[in-house]
Amino acid sequence: MMKTAGLTLLILLVACSGFSRPEENKIFPYKIHQTTLENGLKVIAIPFDSPGIVAYYTIVRTGSRNEVEPGKSGFAHFFEHMMFRGTERYPKDKFNAMLKSIGADNNAYTSDDQTVYHTVASAAALETMMDIESDRFMNLKYTEEDFKTESGAILGEYNKSSSNPFQTIDEKMREIAFGEHTYRHTTIGFIKDIEDMPNQYQYSLTFFDRWYRPENCVVLVVGDVQPDNVFALAKKYYSAWKHGTYKLDVPQEPPQTAEKTGTIPWKAKTLPILTIAYHGPAFSDKDIEYAAMELLSQCVFSETSDLYHNLVVDKQLVEFVQGGNEDHRDPYLFSIFSRVKDPNNIALVRDAIYAALEDTKSNPVTAERLEGIKAHLKYQYAMSLNSPDPVANSLATYIELTGDPESVNRVYAMFDRVTPQDIMSVAKKYFTPQNRTVVTLQQQEVKQ
Amino acid sequence: MTIRNFTLLIISVLLAATLLPAKDAGMKFTEMPSAASPLITFRVIIRAGAINDPAGKEGLNALTAEMIAQGGTKELTYTQVVDKMYPWAAGINANSDQEVTTFIGNVHRDNLDAYYKLISSLLLQPRFDPADFQRIKDMQINYLKNTLRSTNDEALRKQTLNTMIYAGHPYGKTEAGTVQGITSITLEDVKAYYAKTYTQANIWIGIAGGYPATLVETMRKDFAALPAGQPNTVTLASPPQVSGMEVTVVEKPTRAYAVSMGYPVSVTRKDKDFYPLLVAGSYFGEHRSFNGVLMNRLRGDRGLNYGDYAYVEKFVGGLGQPPFPNLNTPLRQQFFSIWLRPMPPDRTLFGIRDALFELKNLVEKGLSKEDFEQTRKFVLNYSKLWAATASRRLGYKMDSEFYGSEYYIDRIDQELKTMTVEDVNAAIKKYLNPDNIKIAVVVDEGKGQAFLSSMISNAPSPITYQSPVGQSILDQDKLIQTFTLTINKDKSVVVNAKDLFEK
Repeated sequence: MMKTAGLTLLILLVACSGFSRPEENKIFPYKIHQTTLENGLKVIAIPFDSPGIVAYYTIVRTGSRNEVEPGKSGFAHFFEHMMFRGTERYPKDKFNAMLKSIGADNNAYTSDDQTVYHTVASAAALETMMDIESDRFMNLKYTEEDFKTESGAILGEYNKSSSNPFQTIDEKMREIAFGEHTYRHTTIGFIKDIEDMPNQYQYSLTFFDRWYRPENCVVLVVGDVQPDNVFALAKKYYSAWKHGTYKLDVPQEPPQTAEKTGTIPWKAKTLPILTIAYHGPAFSDKDIEYAAMELLSQCVFSETSDLYHNLVVDKQLVEFVQGGNEDHRDPYLFSIFSRVKDPNNIALVRDAIYAALEDTKSNPVTAERLEGIKAHLKYQYAMSLNSPDPVANSLATYIELTGDPESVNRVYAMFDRVTPQDIMSVAKKYFTPQNRTVVTLQQQEVKQ
Repeated sequence: MTIRNFTLLIISVLLAATLLPAKDAGMKFTEMPSAASPLITFRVIIRAGAINDPAGKEGLNALTAEMIAQGGTKELTYTQVVDKMYPWAAGINANSDQEVTTFIGNVHRDNLDAYYKLISSLLLQPRFDPADFQRIKDMQINYLKNTLRSTNDEALRKQTLNTMIYAGHPYGKTEAGTVQGITSITLEDVKAYYAKTYTQANIWIGIAGGYPATLVETMRKDFAALPAGQPNTVTLASPPQVSGMEVTVVEKPTRAYAVSMGYPVSVTRKDKDFYPLLVAGSYFGEHRSFNGVLMNRLRGDRGLNYGDYAYVEKFVGGLGQPPFPNLNTPLRQQFFSIWLRPMPPDRTLFGIRDALFELKNLVEKGLSKEDFEQTRKFVLNYSKLWAATASRRLGYKMDSEFYGSEYYIDRIDQELKTMTVEDVNAAIKKYLNPDNIKIAVVVDEGKGQAFLSSMISNAPSPITYQSPVGQSILDQDKLIQTFTLTINKDKSVVVNAKDLFEK
């Protein structure tokens, strides 16, 4: 049974004085131990009081952002699937049997900037995990037949969400808003590329050779572990991994110069969904613009915002309205979504959103409101750190963005420094008509 | 066939004898203090759910719960409540299920006093504002009309199967009710339901984490303001008996076809037989894992779809949810189900046959000693991960108390340590059945009748591959593509999604 002594530390740090911690002023309450092997692999260990349990993450700093070649969209995600197809030493069935024997919760996910392999299991199985994980990252082997069979599962993954209009909105918005950058396609990829995947076996070998290299990966272990033991095991199992040479050149997106729009006719019954996106800043733990945008999204779109009160609670024109700047390595989109109850009110809702954003340019947020937002962000983060898996998952995000887990502390320290003027500045810079893309999804026909 | 029908008869008799759980007089508390923790979690259960919805007012239980979780207090509007909780990053969510309704909240100890005052006021003195009522009612109707029927095929096939298994039974409606039911509900109905249901007899307060000992006494006093009330008892008859393969084909615009199949089982976590069945279910289709037979045969070998799983009790799951058994969705009568994620239309019938073929194999051959030992070890270790947080431990503890069983994770440990492969194979033969099963399939508009006809006709459903596969797979395919489907034509229908969940 997990104990919560780690959280005890948290309470000692935050009690009675909000989140003020004079000695360090760090949001992340656990000591981060890290080392880098000679081949460039960074290994991070975080002891967490969870007797008998560890979370074992491997973060590959490669996602759909790396898919620079035409026709290869979705490959980072496809490759995530292939990583479960085994090696000579541990073929697929043996790999699965070993995970089964330790009672592991094992899976992986891919996003625009990263691919993350995660396992939660018994701490006693740490060396077994180190063994099988290092083996597949160094020695993955699969046949062309396996490769083609797995492509069916990828199509299946696309299909499972195909009735969800937000998948189509995501595809359409990216395709319109981006002309050059690889964020133009979703992580799962263009459907034409997914359907062509069975023919891309040779490219898959190239992909593995390029990106599954120690300098592009980070091993993160959180839970009932001794850092020295983690580092010794990492040295034993990962040292043979060879450094890579490939250099990525992601095309940069030029500034948008005119408003763009798109519409999606939807066959199934749905309420209209209005999506408005502005090109925004990349994630940064140094640039106050990024932090200001985070706080701005709370000012304008949280459930305590005037816009939410107006559209959701008072006039009840929409089911929901939400907006925010998704963390990305390169500049991405500040996206706003709203499901509108009556198609006749789409323009009204759109204009209310525009007006709320305009207001942030000239009316400074009050000090009290700003403090409330800062407290919200800190409590939200602190309360999420309740077991090894969310702790590791949280740090994985910062590791993929900058390669450095300490980014989390720098970002939250930066949130503290954001002023009302910072928020007005980013609003003026980013929320302009020429920087905007609007996509509206509406039901094509009504069948009653 | 005869033996299996006999088994069903026995199951039916057992289900008919299902009794209501014993209820303590007055308020019930479940406590899990952990002084060192800075977090406190509340799980306040109302022992009433969709089964308590009055006829013609289906959805009343859920609407009442949301009027509390997304409403105001006598003193504060909904907006004021949200504004107060916001700096604490706290809130309260309602989860309305068939048998119980659970209010879940988490807060940091820094903010506990003020937070407790708010959530106790929401539960004890709900505002029941007409504007909130309209907002929440709209949302609930839109969920059925524009989400469940339309934009979430995975939820649709699952709910369709539930509706089939429990046709004419109290579990037979969605937890959100029906379109007509919700439409007919008035604010006065909500107030009356609250007065009748939110009583000391029905409330059950769970709390875990670093709360002071005095808080429980405070809650006991505060919640004594509720009327004593009477337990909202609903007697459950047996679900209808399954006769052959009963199919519901749902039409809606879609590019891939999702499938659910299943039937009632007469055991729950309180029963000893549940635990060998749990091992069998894990072996056959552990959720989101390559441990399961279904996942390996349908996805791993054949690339039919993204995933294929089996469950020996209700499983809700969903995006962002952990892959572990649900919390606070207990049922007195449970069901077995198979979930096949969407498949390309031309491969769906093969996929259905493949799943039934594997189910038949499971029933006829059972687990080998080696399979059993591996799966037992897995479940013993894996189940320890399910309760990683205080909130999850509290949820499982309350569910165990609902069933009148020991703490679920401990019970698994005890039962599995003495279990044998013979126990598992006997449970499989007793409770699982590939011949009498209900099947829900979501297909594209205008394709339903042809799909059902292809099932009824038993025409072969051959499969082709983009690349060579092993001979053993091809040999097995020959058996699967002609696997006999015993479709019960009289109990098989094609419906349009827009007509579902209407009344």
